[in-house]
Amino acid sequence: MMPHLRKIPVSLEAALPVLSTLLALLFGALLILATARQPALAAAAFLDGAFGSAYAIGASLNRAVTLALVGIGFVLANRANLTNVGGEGQLALGGMTATALALHGGGVALFFPATFLWPLLGGAVAGAAWGALAGILRVRFGTNEVISTLLLSFVAIWIVYAATHSTRLLRQPQTSSTSLPESLDIPTITQIPTIGGSSGSPLHLGIVFALIAALCVHFVLARTAWGLRLKAVGVNERAARRAGVRPGRMMVLALLCAGALGGMAGAIMIQGEQFNLKSGFTSGYGFDGLAVGLLARGSSLVVLGYALFFGFLRSGGISMEIAAGVPSAVVQVIQGLIVVSVAASTFIIDYSKQRS
Amino acid sequence: MYDLIPIFLASSLRLAVPLLFLSMGELISERAGILNISLEGMMLVAACAGALGAWATGSPWLGLLAGIAAAILFSGVQAFLSVVVKANQIVVGLGLNIFALGITTLAARALIGGRSQAAIPGFAKSEVPILSKLPLIGPGLFGQVWMFHLTFVIILATWFLLKQTSFGLAVDASGSDPRAADKTGVDVARTRFVAVLWTGFCAGLAGTFLSIGDVNTFTEGMTNGAGFLALAAVIFGNWSVARTCAACLLFGFATALQYQLPAMGVDLPVAVLVMLPYVMALVAVTGLMGRQQPPAALSVPFYRGEK
Repeated sequence: MMPHLRKIPVSLEAALPVLSTLLALLFGALLILATARQPALAAAAFLDGAFGSAYAIGASLNRAVTLALVGIGFVLANRANLTNVGGEGQLALGGMTATALALHGGGVALFFPATFLWPLLGGAVAGAAWGALAGILRVRFGTNEVISTLLLSFVAIWIVYAATHSTRLLRQPQTSSTSLPESLDIPTITQIPTIGGSSGSPLHLGIVFALIAALCVHFVLARTAWGLRLKAVGVNERAARRAGVRPGRMMVLALLCAGALGGMAGAIMIQGEQFNLKSGFTSGYGFDGLAVGLLARGSSLVVLGYALFFGFLRSGGISMEIAAGVPSAVVQVIQGLIVVSVAASTFIIDYSKQRS
Repeated sequence: MYDLIPIFLASSLRLAVPLLFLSMGELISERAGILNISLEGMMLVAACAGALGAWATGSPWLGLLAGIAAAILFSGVQAFLSVVVKANQIVVGLGLNIFALGITTLAARALIGGRSQAAIPGFAKSEVPILSKLPLIGPGLFGQVWMFHLTFVIILATWFLLKQTSFGLAVDASGSDPRAADKTGVDVARTRFVAVLWTGFCAGLAGTFLSIGDVNTFTEGMTNGAGFLALAAVIFGNWSVARTCAACLLFGFATALQYQLPAMGVDLPVAVLVMLPYVMALVAVTGLMGRQQPPAALSVPFYRGEK
């Protein structure tokens, strides 16, 4: 009996998030049944919007790219026991910087791949700076990074608002009373190339970046001394210091990397899909990416799975709203439930670990 | 220019009301060791339930009850998961916020939907005789909805609870050293649970003030970050009642200024003013403006009987 008992926590650890997710989905389905006039139409619209065409699949994958990058950053910082709640702000600043560089950064004069890589790099640097700032506050002043990254997110969101509302910054020239507070469209040559070919799919090169990021972070965390040091800081700061690790530096670097991934994701949102800067363009992707990172329980590869799941869920939800009149808020309800129930299920895991 | 001052004062105070309710509620939770990131969600749920309740029954009073009940129920989930299940408080809070945004949008669309939202009955402003005619401060202090005056009661109640009751002692003990509190016979779990329910009650007042005390409607995500602003106010207020109130007034003032400055012909980017409270809170948490003393056990779960 004993060996069997010992096995339970391991299988539970993998099964519980999946089980929570399924339960949340079931609840969402019941909600749709209860509120939609034609549930069958809603279901069809959901599937059509998520997987129905090359376009739909491409759009879903692009959404997943943003979520994955933010989630991978979360996993990375979390290895040092840091909770990066600042994804939303890192996305916002990354997107804003990329827009500025694409429009006014001289990227157009460069040779081809550099034309879009230059703003992308700028976005990553801006996000990195924003993340590192929270790291420095933590190390220098002992400021809890949950609080600082959250506050910094709001500051970033309003910086983007300011940039899109002033013609001296990024707002397009006001030619008429109807010109919206948005930036000009970025030049085609600074956009991230699509890789969908003639299928009409909006799928762009961003997916390659997300895959590379996931693999790199997985390798760094699992196989390098740096990854081990990061983990040492996360497990026991004092012991890590005794072993010759500089925890402060590791923490700043961890948040810097997380911020860089978030900033890059923001740049990809602008250069891959939206093509101009609007205030509020991040629309909750930072928080959803955080959820994706949480659900992955420390693995940057599992992040990819959850990012895909949330990406398809969002696409399906949007299509359901347009085609069947069911508010896409159903998707938010499902996501919220998934996060809460997975957080709650860790209790069961801890409990069964204690028992064994 | 000078006739704008009373209007400005009135709108500053009105904008500070939800922040005051929220931060007084959150203050007790945080002093007991529980961080409610879900404050925004609690308020949103209350705003929605308040509006729906008032619309369904035709009575703003029943709407108020519905809003408070919904927020307390919602805070009960946060309390249960933080105190009993001992889940990560921040994760639970963020999840509940996403859930609240979704469920209130669904509920409002399904029930009110395309129908006119003007049908939501709300509380009217009441002018206190004579006093509301006072120059400058009259309209601001004595020409508001009754719930505005309730903030004074809630502030006093919060202060009284923390400073003058055994519950307040238990709250501070649970938030600063739960193990020692437990040894002296304080029921840490119960204290924390009740503290979060109080937060829910206060968030209920904040939400219903917004939807049936101020604008008489419900729109999706109408709380617009007030919950987070209140979290910032508690931090900026260094977890003290008086300083937190001052922070709320300051934040209300900054928010009102963004509407007023263009009217006064001052050209300052609105975003800078809206951003200001968050920057101030950020500067405050770094301790550059005097030492910060967060409760030592803030957001740390308490396991009874462990070493």
